[in-house]
Amino acid sequence: MEKIQIVLDINDKPCEVMIYPNDTLLEVLRDELDLTGSKESCGEGVCGSCTIQMDGKPVRSCLTLAMEAVGTKIKTVEGLANGDELSDLQQSFIDHGAVQCGFCTPGMLMTADALLKDNPRPDDKTIRKALAGNICRCTGYAKIITAVAHTGNPQDHCPDCKIGSKAKE
Amino acid sequence: MRLPRFDYLKPDTLKAALELLALHKDDAKILAGGTDLLVRMKNGLLNPKVVISLKALNELSYIKKQAGYIKIGARTSLADIIASDLIQKEAKALFQACEKVGAITIQHYRGTIGGNILQDNRCQYYNQSDFHRSGHQACHKAGGKICYAREEADRCNSTCQSDGATALMALGAQIILAGKDGERTVDLADFYTTDGIMPHACESHELLKEIIIPVLGAHSAYQRLAYRSAIDYPIVCAGVLLKPSPENEIEDARIVVGAIGRSPLFLAKASASLKGKRFTDMTAFKKAADDSMNASAPFAVHNVGATLEYRCAMVSRMVFQALEQAAFSAAKE
Repeated sequence: MEKIQIVLDINDKPCEVMIYPNDTLLEVLRDELDLTGSKESCGEGVCGSCTIQMDGKPVRSCLTLAMEAVGTKIKTVEGLANGDELSDLQQSFIDHGAVQCGFCTPGMLMTADALLKDNPRPDDKTIRKALAGNICRCTGYAKIITAVAHTGNPQDHCPDCKIGSKAKE
Repeated sequence: MRLPRFDYLKPDTLKAALELLALHKDDAKILAGGTDLLVRMKNGLLNPKVVISLKALNELSYIKKQAGYIKIGARTSLADIIASDLIQKEAKALFQACEKVGAITIQHYRGTIGGNILQDNRCQYYNQSDFHRSGHQACHKAGGKICYAREEADRCNSTCQSDGATALMALGAQIILAGKDGERTVDLADFYTTDGIMPHACESHELLKEIIIPVLGAHSAYQRLAYRSAIDYPIVCAGVLLKPSPENEIEDARIVVGAIGRSPLFLAKASASLKGKRFTDMTAFKKAADDSMNASAPFAVHNVGATLEYRCAMVSRMVFQALEQAAFSAAKE
């Protein structure tokens, strides 16, 4: 079996890689391109820690062949921040203490980011439903949901939350 | 976990895909969403030489209404089905079933309806890693002669845990299987073989092309029970269809129970008992639900985690809730 050359569009940059047909997108991202933000945990599509965005939709990269990703726009957690400046969602995760061990965070961020693009003001139920496929081993769900709900919202939309959006101030 | 080695083929047309299938037959596996196939391959349960991807076959992704039938292309993603007003209105059970498959944001953009109804049967003793399975002798499904789920069983008792199949069977769906030399249409109810090892009658040179749901003006509903509302497979599920007569009585009923046997079970007697009853007759619903439980309990084996007694008892609850829901949507009209 021989390696095949493919070009992937990752975080708006074309990346040329040599892969085997049986490489998953996650393996290519982590091992070939050193984009180690996406994590492998269960490897069988249960936990969601490998979530990336393909054409703006959250997808489990451990169950996506790299060959299948050719011709799509891929966004990983590394593509969320603009240089050193974190995105509102990332800042909100920090402000609200939504990161504990951090292993599920990249997946949570990618899923939540896709949700917020479709629905900038989701209610709790929508967030819970959207994040249902991402498992947090530290069980820090409450803060994760708060962080997503308060992303980009000005202070007056966060009555229960003293922090609000620090990034905006 | 790494995938075993294989050749990746991506045909551009359905014809090319069918020719490749005819050429490779048992050596090939079809890849649509991959959420079932790739997990099995990672676990070492499947080792195809060739994987044929349907990625380029956009012709297999559609939902349309034609001459009293809803036609769904086999590669239509679950997300597209959930977003379809037509399905929500005319085939509610399918909408409810697709909504509950896997995790909402993720598998829905990859998982397809064809893959959902063609998924292989599952069993907690079989769907495990190589390492886990190496600890005990091979079961029937793995080529051995033991069943860990039911003592002294002479055949495989793996369970069909497809949400889509249960809902579609209640809706009386048919499917079109395409081969290189032609197509055949099969009733979904006849498609499942009740054999744990070869759960359905899709030949190795065939490809599921289309799902056809008759529009009967009936009310349908789907209910499922699982440990977690997302990710998990159902441990019991039920799909029902109630067709009203002009006098607003139940003219025809279909009750299908899934995730309990080797294939979804159409319960003819319990369904027939509802004929001529009123939509408000809760006693009849309760009786049909209990009949469903009694009829399906002998098929249940202890292989999806929950205890057998609990799962069997829940059959009655799921059927009753589904009937209640279908009757409720009938009352709303």
